Amino acid sequence: MLKRNALAVLLAALPYAAHASDSYTVDPAHTFTHFTINHLGFSTMHGRFDKSSGKVTLDPAAKNGSIEISIESGSVSTGFAKRDDHLKSPDFFNAAEFPSITFKSSKIKFKGDVPASVEGDLTLLGVTKPVTLTVTEFNCGANPMNKKYECGAGAVAQIKRSDFGMKAFLPAVGDDIKLEFEIEAYKD
Amino acid sequence: MQGGLVPFGIALLAAVLLRPLRLSGLAVTLAFAATVYLVSGISFESLTGSRKIVLLGLAAPVAAILLGLFNAAWMRSLLAAAGGASAIWVAQRILEQQQLAHMFLWGAGIALYAGWLVFWMDKLHDQPVRAGSAGLALGLGTGGAALFGASATLGMYGIALGAAAGAYLLVQMVTNNRLSCGRIFALPLALIAGLAGCLAVLGAELPWYALFPLAAIPPTAKIAPVSEKAALWLQSALLSAATLACAAGATYLTWRVAGAPPL
Repeated sequence: MLKRNALAVLLAALPYAAHASDSYTVDPAHTFTHFTINHLGFSTMHGRFDKSSGKVTLDPAAKNGSIEISIESGSVSTGFAKRDDHLKSPDFFNAAEFPSITFKSSKIKFKGDVPASVEGDLTLLGVTKPVTLTVTEFNCGANPMNKKYECGAGAVAQIKRSDFGMKAFLPAVGDDIKLEFEIEAYKD
Repeated sequence: MQGGLVPFGIALLAAVLLRPLRLSGLAVTLAFAATVYLVSGISFESLTGSRKIVLLGLAAPVAAILLGLFNAAWMRSLLAAAGGASAIWVAQRILEQQQLAHMFLWGAGIALYAGWLVFWMDKLHDQPVRAGSAGLALGLGTGGAALFGASATLGMYGIALGAAAGAYLLVQMVTNNRLSCGRIFALPLALIAGLAGCLAVLGAELPWYALFPLAAIPPTAKIAPVSEKAALWLQSALLSAATLACAAGATYLTWRVAGAPPL
């Protein structure tokens, strides 16, 4: 009886062992989140967050995985320090109160062996909303410089800042924000 | 427009229309509510520091009416303590992220500042001209400094208070009759201005020492040697000149550090 139970447990565990996810740690030197927003109807301004961190797990065989990214809101950079100070203030990213912007995936959809989109929750200013990232690029392999195995990806998403309570200067400064993620992560 | 003209107009109407009910002091809160509605909408999710200021600002007149039922000697000290506690609550999320020493230092500093303003504005609650002059300068000084300190939202909140207090003062100057004042005027004004100043220091670029000239405004309005027998327009002009000098000092200190707003 004991032997039969042990065998059952072993058999049940087999699929998980066969499809063990690989875990990756985000490389902050090559991981950035860019954003674009309309400025007073005249032009499209670009900015980015300089600091982020996170973890990725991937199991292409089982077609699943997870992504957790944390972006430092105080690292916002638009190439003009005075505007960056304003973006960090309570008018926009409120970096003192909300130092992190996070994205936590709930489902990764694959097209073949490659992730095609990532569904998850974006938390900005303490408000969490579902957001879908469309994966535009995905490559894995050994880094030719340091020989470590890594994966890189590009993804885009569209959000409305007002959905997250960021309402300063609406509608003069646009409500629609395009987010572009560039991620590289080394296999642990 | 949102921070100046609209609150000025609403406060002017409220000060005149509510005069028979002796509720002209409500002009400040009504004007502030209008500005909040136009600038950011009245919403409390998620409950950020700015939204806590709105919540407390809108609740303050109700508290003032209820507290008006008691006239105990300790009421002023209790209000000041509550003002200090409000500052801690508004900045709670920021303070929690600091190291312990900084948390206590900043927490004590902002509590002292907000409590001080509530205490001194309360001392003016039965002197409508002095309270109006102090409110004008405290609002414009806080708003101007916050605007230079990279927060337009807090800046407009402050300027709205100044515009409302200016309208309240103007009615007295034109009619040469004092309006009712009371805590319904003094408490929301002191609380909103005090908390906006604290949040602009912790969350934006307002230098902490710019709060000193702002803190000097209510005591200046209280002790300025202006005769109570003079015409109200003259009293208002003299008191406003003295208090606005303090406000200009705070704005100048912020401008020196932060430069012009990024418009």
